[in-house]
Amino acid sequence: MSAVRVVMLLAGKDLRIEARGRQTLGLVVVLGILIEVVLALGLGQASSGLRATAILWVTYLFGGVLCFEKTMAVERQHGAMAGLLLAPVDRGLIYLGKLCANLALLGALAAVVTPVGIVFFGFDLSAAPGAFAAVIGLSLVGYAAVGTLFSAVTSASRLQGGLLAMVVFPLSLPLVITSTQVLAGVMDRGEALDMSGLGVIAVFDVIFLTASWSVFELVVEP
Amino acid sequence: MTTSASIRLGRPGARAGSASTAVSLRGVSKSIDGRAVLSEVSVELPRGSFVSVMGANGAGKSTLLRVMSTLTGATEGEVRIFGESRGAAVRAKIGMVAHETMLYDELTALENVTLFARLHGVPGAASRARLMLEQLGVGAVAHAAVRSMSRGVAQRVALARALVHGPELLLADEVFAGLDVGSRELVEGVLTEAWGKGCTIVTCGHDVEQSLRLSERVLVLERGRLVMDEWAHRLTAGSLRERLGGRA
Amino acid sequence: MGGTRRIAVAGYWVLSLAALAGAAWLAAYYAPVDADMGVIQKVFYFHLPAALCMFGACGLVFVAGVGYLWQREGWWDDLSHASARVAVLLSSVVLLTGMIWGKQAWGTWWTWSPRLTFSLVLWLLYVAYLVLRASIGSEQKRAVVCAVYGIVAFLDVPLVYLSTKLMPDIHPESIELERPMWVTLGAWMAAVTLLSAGLVAARYRVARLERAHEEWALRTGMGGPA
Ligand SMILES: Nc1ncnc2c1ncn2[C@@H]1O[C@H](COP(=O)(O)OP(=O)(O)O)[C@@H](O)[C@H]1O
Ligand SMILES: [Mg+2]
Repeated sequence: MSAVRVVMLLAGKDLRIEARGRQTLGLVVVLGILIEVVLALGLGQASSGLRATAILWVTYLFGGVLCFEKTMAVERQHGAMAGLLLAPVDRGLIYLGKLCANLALLGALAAVVTPVGIVFFGFDLSAAPGAFAAVIGLSLVGYAAVGTLFSAVTSASRLQGGLLAMVVFPLSLPLVITSTQVLAGVMDRGEALDMSGLGVIAVFDVIFLTASWSVFELVVEP
Repeated sequence: MTTSASIRLGRPGARAGSASTAVSLRGVSKSIDGRAVLSEVSVELPRGSFVSVMGANGAGKSTLLRVMSTLTGATEGEVRIFGESRGAAVRAKIGMVAHETMLYDELTALENVTLFARLHGVPGAASRARLMLEQLGVGAVAHAAVRSMSRGVAQRVALARALVHGPELLLADEVFAGLDVGSRELVEGVLTEAWGKGCTIVTCGHDVEQSLRLSERVLVLERGRLVMDEWAHRLTAGSLRERLGGRA
Repeated sequence: MGGTRRIAVAGYWVLSLAALAGAAWLAAYYAPVDADMGVIQKVFYFHLPAALCMFGACGLVFVAGVGYLWQREGWWDDLSHASARVAVLLSSVVLLTGMIWGKQAWGTWWTWSPRLTFSLVLWLLYVAYLVLRASIGSEQKRAVVCAVYGIVAFLDVPLVYLSTKLMPDIHPESIELERPMWVTLGAWMAAVTLLSAGLVAARYRVARLERAHEEWALRTGMGGPA
């Protein structure tokens, strides 16, 4: 079976499970909105591109960690990961399948939380919606790459929740710093999109996709 | 069974490793966090064997099966499954039922089995999956979510999942635990049928009579050591029970 | 531990502490007081060597991680742990001296300047390593997870650096050093390197002894199953 089909099969399985239970997405979206409410109560409507991006990142980070934990918990419940590992497919593809499922959930989260943020905080993305989508989209790929790897690590070691956040947040800070700086330049100072900033995010994605894909097999080995 | 046993005279496992060997372990030790779980286990299982692994709780039976499945590596020694140590080609030939069912709660029995059939590249995955479920007497609940199933039913779905790609080596860890009398006979029938088609079967469990009735060879583990490797027809329930009960 | 070894270890520490004392004397009496920064400029002699040694320690965590995944031997994991502890210690020094510097230069203990942010993120990265370590019970699992984390964290370091470079820097510093300042800096570099290497070695040795003791306890059945 071709690699693409395996990845789609596995990601489709995760999304089908999510569609049946609808546990993760509901939880994550409501949590994201709650975070925005709390921040809006303290920060008010006045906002800059810098603030907008940082506030949205808080929702992506916390929501993302929950997505990663939930999609991996499915594999742990009845030892299903062992079943996947026994399948005659490249184990890197199991990682990629999980990554795609996580990205789909993150995308859905962002699709709800971002417009809500625009309403609550009066963010003005009209200056550069394309740049915003590109920077955030590319960043979320890197975040999901790290998160998926360590969700496998932490679930294989039966670690408690919260630990995943502690591991993944520091690793993902370059994404947060870069995207806030780049978008602040675009939206607050009306500069053109800083390609070197976008480059940092792209390099992050490439490095962590490659590294995670190659060590995934080692960390899930039961 | 008597014919196959009479061909192989002498002590079990005397045959050298060859193309007809399904499982070959040489001096396999496995330690988990510094504690020896398996110690220097050496055993050769020819293709088409039906072997029962017995031993007290914690003797290392499940670990032995996991080593044979290539899911976990040995700390020392050599593991060869159909002549290879690991890799996708070996995994394609293995079917496994473990303590845990390896099933997804939210998916139906059919979806679970079909998923694994697809991963194994079985042609006509869905119809093959349905057939397996029917063979195991769980065709009626093919569209029920695994979440709603009792342990015994889920166990049979797990067996369907392990057999759906027609494995050449079936590793069944306490597959009879939690089954009622009817399903137990059904599962025995399915295992015997797979064996009849040339599948090598390694089971582990605690039922002495059943092991002697089903399998042609019995291995006994005691605290990670292989303390007995004998043809089943040379054993009686009493002697085997004594061997098992004689644990310090 | 043999007698010669004991003497060598003691000699090493005497040498390291002497180097530190010498470096401190140079900083106090030999190096001139900086025109702009005053006496506070002198934390720089500690700051820069600590930063460089910190990178060394992070690199060692990385190397130990690769080594462990490759050979699966416990001593790599002990090395990884020892290096990570020293990396956290050194990055704390870097962070604190950086804050002291910032207080003098900009009048506040904290600004989101690229350098301070960089030090803070690095500190967080390696503190997370220690917390992660402490929360995994199984020894083998812990070694694998920490090896992977050590590798990934080290790959993260240049990215953190590049990302903080994008932040606005109010006071781009360019430090002009006079000759006595270079000499003092060199002395501190030697002292901090000796101390860091000694600490890694000491922690590593303790971990090895602990591991040997555990193995002994298991072998003699004192920690094993009934
Ligand atoms: N993942 C593991 N972590 C720690 N100990 C384990 C693990 N797997 C097995 N063991 C230990 O190995 C021994 C053998 O376990 P197992 O193979 O499950 O025995 P059996 O199946 O014969 O009951 C037990 O003492 C068990 O505690
Ligand atoms: Mg068992």
